[in-house]
Amino acid sequence: MKRKFQQNDNRVGLWTLFWTFFKTGLFTFGGGYAMISILEEELVAKKKWITTQDMLDMLVIAESTPGVIAVNTATGVGFRVRGVAGAIIATIGVVLPSFLIITALSFFIQAFAENTWYKAAFTGVQACVTVLIINAFIKMFRQLERGWFSALLVAASFDVALFTDFNVIFLIMIGGVLGITYTLIAEAIAKRKNKSLPLKHSERLESEQTNIHSDNDGGDK
Amino acid sequence: MIYLVLFWEYFKVGLFTIGGGYAMLPLVTQIVTKRGWMTEQQLIEFIGVAESTPGPFAINLATFVGSTVGSTSGLGVFGGILGSLVATIAVTLPSLIIIIIVTLLFDKFRTNKYVQGMLKGIKPIVVGLILSSVFTVAAKVVLPNLNFKNITSDGVSKFNWISLIIVIAFVPISQIRIKGKKIHPIFLILVSAVLGVVLFGVFDLQG
Repeated sequence: MKRKFQQNDNRVGLWTLFWTFFKTGLFTFGGGYAMISILEEELVAKKKWITTQDMLDMLVIAESTPGVIAVNTATGVGFRVRGVAGAIIATIGVVLPSFLIITALSFFIQAFAENTWYKAAFTGVQACVTVLIINAFIKMFRQLERGWFSALLVAASFDVALFTDFNVIFLIMIGGVLGITYTLIAEAIAKRKNKSLPLKHSERLESEQTNIHSDNDGGDK
Repeated sequence: MIYLVLFWEYFKVGLFTIGGGYAMLPLVTQIVTKRGWMTEQQLIEFIGVAESTPGPFAINLATFVGSTVGSTSGLGVFGGILGSLVATIAVTLPSLIIIIIVTLLFDKFRTNKYVQGMLKGIKPIVVGLILSSVFTVAAKVVLPNLNFKNITSDGVSKFNWISLIIVIAFVPISQIRIKGKKIHPIFLILVSAVLGVVLFGVFDLQG
């Protein structure tokens, strides 16, 4: 289960990294979630720098730490594939399109965004962005461990985030605490079972295997 | 010096807001009005622009605020560009440092029982957040007046059915494989832009 990206170090050129994230930045609209689909295509399917499971891990880190999600993800991926230089290059790449477009248009950007044709194009793009986020959700959902615990947390987090103003960071903290509690309880139950039935080692092995299972699921067909 | 203040304020924004660009808004609004850089109305107007221009929303906003602040420095156009640069660097710098540290720690402790447990809980939460974002964005596209945090009958007063058709059509289209490869999302975005120009621009089908 050792991570693969260390071996990839020399194969990923900084220029490729920059260009990949420049494209991603250029075609990201709104928040950072739409870029998951683009990154999936570029980094997982095409270049195979990381797996879908790595993607979810990075998203967890991006979401639980301060800063813009898109920047956090770029920094995370860049750092994984090329160390500190990679982190800096990927971040510059993802930020540069914004910088160039907004500065270049700074004096008439308002007029630009209110242009009828641009608005028409953007309305179309927004519909597409919705689809990209749906796809990102399906991809990430498939990476979760199967079971009632995950399903319940997805539903709860969805409800709270959509219908209330509850702070996201508390939601993440509660998730972390529940996850640890669940693991400890599951472990205690497993131990007790093993004590009463000392021969049934297979059960414990099985539960460990389901843990690993989701990690290997990355390839997706 | 205005650039130092700008740097410091945006550094704080990058350092203290968790949950991405939209979580930053309250803090940015507070700073911008407190410093007298912009009125709240100006900022709100620009939020719409930042959402519709390419690039992550929060970075667009930082660049714009920076450019507005910088152009008051007396350096003209150059002052604006410098301001954009300062704000963008300031808001990304905390991420750069924090993510590198967290990634290192994460790789070191990822097999730890407690870290594993924590992930088991946080992953579904993050996936739930993505799902809620699906609904927020879909509502913005199909039912622009709907506010999930305050649902009223006004929410369904505007129904953009053309957009709904595009969404429904694009879900299977995005899954099509040509020679084993899916259609690239960037290509889909370009197609949808053209579609938007034709349907909403040429034929003016906006609901």
